[in-house]
Amino acid sequence: MFSLIVLYVVTIICSIVIALLLVYSANLSSKPKESADKDKVVPKYPKPAVLPNHDFRKMLYNEISEVVDSRSHCHKIAETVSDIFRRELEREVDYNNTKLSTKYEEVIKEKDASEQIAWKKYQKTLDDKKKTEAVIRSITEGLLVIDAKGKVVMMNPAAESLLDVSKKDKIGKSILEDIKETQLLSLFKSSRDKEGMAVELISQRDETKKILRASSAVIEDENGQTVGMVSVLNDITKQKELDQLKENFVANVSHELRTPLVAIEKSISLMIDGTTGKLLEEQAELLSIAKRNLKRLNFLINDLLELSKLEAGKTKLRREASSIEKIINEVIESLETWAKSKSLKIEKDIEEKLPELEIDPNRITQVLNNLLGNSIKFTPENGTILVKARLLQEKLEVEVSVRDTGIGISKENLSTVFDKFYQAGERVATDISGTGIGLSIAKEIVELHGGKIRAESEKGKGADFIFTLPVKPFNSLIN
Amino acid sequence: MDKAIKVLVVDDEADFRQVMTVWLKSKGYLVITAPDGEHAIEAVKKEKPDIVFMDLRMPVMDGSDTIKKIRQFDKDTPIIIISAYLDDPKIKEVKTSYISGIFNKRDDFDKGLNLLECVLRTHKRFKDRTCK
Repeated sequence: MFSLIVLYVVTIICSIVIALLLVYSANLSSKPKESADKDKVVPKYPKPAVLPNHDFRKMLYNEISEVVDSRSHCHKIAETVSDIFRRELEREVDYNNTKLSTKYEEVIKEKDASEQIAWKKYQKTLDDKKKTEAVIRSITEGLLVIDAKGKVVMMNPAAESLLDVSKKDKIGKSILEDIKETQLLSLFKSSRDKEGMAVELISQRDETKKILRASSAVIEDENGQTVGMVSVLNDITKQKELDQLKENFVANVSHELRTPLVAIEKSISLMIDGTTGKLLEEQAELLSIAKRNLKRLNFLINDLLELSKLEAGKTKLRREASSIEKIINEVIESLETWAKSKSLKIEKDIEEKLPELEIDPNRITQVLNNLLGNSIKFTPENGTILVKARLLQEKLEVEVSVRDTGIGISKENLSTVFDKFYQAGERVATDISGTGIGLSIAKEIVELHGGKIRAESEKGKGADFIFTLPVKPFNSLIN
Repeated sequence: MDKAIKVLVVDDEADFRQVMTVWLKSKGYLVITAPDGEHAIEAVKKEKPDIVFMDLRMPVMDGSDTIKKIRQFDKDTPIIIISAYLDDPKIKEVKTSYISGIFNKRDDFDKGLNLLECVLRTHKRFKDRTCK
């Protein structure tokens, strides 16, 4: 009976002890984190010498003495339990200590590793940033970034010099402040409204005459909110000057080239028509040669000027409702004598009831003149030339083609046939009207009308030049 | 022709002036020439030509300015523009200055002669009518 009581008591005490132990160890495991973060050196936790050995044993003794009568038994039990408890606690603390240390080391390692990654990333970003900055610094275009309030966030040296401002004065300030040219203001004001628009800016003051082109785009954040604007500035002053020069060149060249030609031509004419006295046969012959070649030179100059004007976009079409059939007939009529002199047959295949076209009749006459002229020129005697016109199925375009039985063009030359001064192989003109730019002119004119021109040919099998013209000009279709 | 008709040719190109002179003389006209605007004005004042051929593109004072100056003191003498190309924007400038015609330098002389005679005839008829 006694032993049963003792066992009972011991069990109770053990339960109490284990409960206390658990509470204690729980406290221990939650505590040391604070210090763990501070030090890299793994701290050795002091063993809880705090164990209230004496008091604890006394407490045990008191508890046990209430259920056990014998004092010596009480002492013994209290001592044994206290020892068990201490050993258990020490073991538990040691275990926790080791566990925490390992965990701490792991954390430190992880932290080190992520720190290194972060550092590498930082270095890379820094490198990238430096590279980007170097690129932005070295591009010749001015780059300007402003925020939503119009304050400068970034600008490169090119932008500084183009806008004639200094970066350190401008960063963080409104772009509109202190800009010397009033036109610049309008540039930025207008480009803020129009996304991605290219605006040209012309400075009025002669000494700083500058034409800038700004292409701007709005910067939006992920929510679609406007956070700023990036502008790329280009100094197009030189380009504009060149354009102007080219334009003037056309006008001046017209005068400068034609003036001497006119004097020569008129002098020769006066001699040929006998105004200056009767000529010997040989003299007359030589003068005819001079006159013929002069005419050729005149053609060349006129064609060149014409092409320059077309290319410079200076040619305006005088569109009117015209019958393509009538134009074709007129062109054939005007070239018939020449064709007959080579015994060439010109045939027509024109679809009935073709609609009237909104075209410049003079220009289209010129195109047909060039195409038909070429055919006559490059088709050997007794050949045939066929001029066709038909409405394409979509009924929006009329297709006109001039096909001959001439020497043709090799495949590799087909793509260059519309280039300036192209004359493939044997196509070198000995004829007066061969300037080598007739097809370039034809192409420009057809394209100006909104049409397309192409050539189909095989060497030795004749050539087919085909062009299309819209029935209505593009603009009127939109309207 | 009782009295030879006097034609003033104004052009900065000496060669062209000479060609014009040979041509006009061969047709029985009396020809005087001027190399620039200032001389032209002087010639109109002193020589009182019956008709003027005026080049448009000349250095210092161009044809259009010269015509305007001439018109300040002489509103009667017919003036024919000579130009190397008809799309010359300068032609527009002089159209308001009472010019009688345009002779394209590249045209045949025959065409020039027709124009010249036509202008002279019209001018004479107009003058005769106003005199009566």
